[in-house]
Amino acid sequence: MIKTIESGIPGFDELTVSEITKGGIPEKSSTLIYGPPKTGKSIFCNQFTYHGLLNLEPCLYVTTDHGFKQVQNNMMEFQWFIQNYIQNQSLYIIDGISQLSGKKIEDTNNIKSSFVRNSSDMMVKIGIGTRFVYKKSNHFRSTLDSLNTLFAFNPQQMVIRVLNAYLRRITEAGGTSIVAYTEGIINPNTENMLKSLFDNTIKLDGQNIQIKSHFEEEEELINYKSTYKITNKGIVVKKE
Amino acid sequence: MIPRIESGIPEFDELTLSESGIGGIPENSSTLIYGPPKTGKSIFSYQFTYQGLSNDEPCLYITTDQGLNQLKNNMFDFQMPIEKYIEDKTLFIIDTTSNISEGMQTKTETIVSSDINNPTDIMVKVGSGVKYICKKYPRFRSVLDSSTTLLAYNDTMLILRVLKAYLMRVNGVGGTPIITYTENSADIMIETMLKSMVDNIIKLDGKTVIVEAMNGIGKRSAKYKIKDHGIIL
Repeated sequence: MIKTIESGIPGFDELTVSEITKGGIPEKSSTLIYGPPKTGKSIFCNQFTYHGLLNLEPCLYVTTDHGFKQVQNNMMEFQWFIQNYIQNQSLYIIDGISQLSGKKIEDTNNIKSSFVRNSSDMMVKIGIGTRFVYKKSNHFRSTLDSLNTLFAFNPQQMVIRVLNAYLRRITEAGGTSIVAYTEGIINPNTENMLKSLFDNTIKLDGQNIQIKSHFEEEEELINYKSTYKITNKGIVVKKE
Repeated sequence: MIPRIESGIPEFDELTLSESGIGGIPENSSTLIYGPPKTGKSIFSYQFTYQGLSNDEPCLYITTDQGLNQLKNNMFDFQMPIEKYIEDKTLFIIDTTSNISEGMQTKTETIVSSDINNPTDIMVKVGSGVKYICKKYPRFRSVLDSSTTLLAYNDTMLILRVLKAYLMRVNGVGGTPIITYTENSADIMIETMLKSMVDNIIKLDGKTVIVEAMNGIGKRSAKYKIKDHGIIL
């Protein structure tokens, strides 16, 4: 059996049960969440993050679309309160965008400011962050929300390289990573290459959820499909 | 609960009522208004701006399609006189067109000119505008009408970055920005990216206003008309 971790999304783990897994997100795998704008990708990421924290799995959270304060507010709308986890340092945040607002941000032990345009600085901080959460627990999660701003600020090929390095780092340290991306903002070839970097892809189109999981050792490709809704508790996947 | 601010169109606020019983534009979030040409995107912006000014919420207005005088006249046509707010300095205008069409005009502390071909200068002016307003007011509105002209005159990826910076600046100090954009005027990839950068998406197609995305509520729509006082649903 392939080991999995709980996604935190009601209905998701039940949907992804198969002969080789008990459902959920395969441990130490990488997952791309993609789809058109405003279909719940960030909500999925936040739900995944928060559920990990509740299960005492620390999280490395790289935010590039919203400043970290905004992320915290967005999560509060769903009653996901992360302040405690910031305080006990089980949440490590790399804020790649707040500098753009022109405000000075003081780094703390586990909140670091970087800038999407400066990919080498991002990578250095990701390296430090990975070690930080790994020391807390080798069962950790990592969330990157999202690639959009990275693509707006850097050449496409460079983003792909940075992403590749990021995913490798997390996997080597034993973490389970998810990355959000808005479909259709880069050329189709690069988009295909992007998808091929991940073990799993999840497509959210506003109504349908489509999950593809590739298990290398078993040489299996499994598809799951269902519908979902965004509720005031986050995403809920319909049980088929 | 997400605080909301009045859009300036009472029926729109009703349309966007959330479970907690309040409607309007979520405060301190960012909104994209888009649709085909001549469907009322600018008029929506006027109403949004004017509503704020009437409630003592200042506004940072970046105009790229029409010069200051034209803006004044257009708003006046819809019975939204802004002269008073220019005088009391609650309306801060960055005018990127008058340099070309009207020659240099009298600049004041709150009426500044910039150049559509110079996004860096626009960003500098946005920065000082935001600073000027947020020193006195904890909350304010901002309008960028429209991103289409910016995209047409400059490298599109650069403008996306400028727009992102603009939204971050305004949101960072408690402001509520809206951006207008004419559908299909830029590449589809750019359009998708633009949509992914904002919190709320409102489409005006000439007949129907469609709230495609808004924090806290699902998709909604209603018919609208443009009357003497602006948009009514």
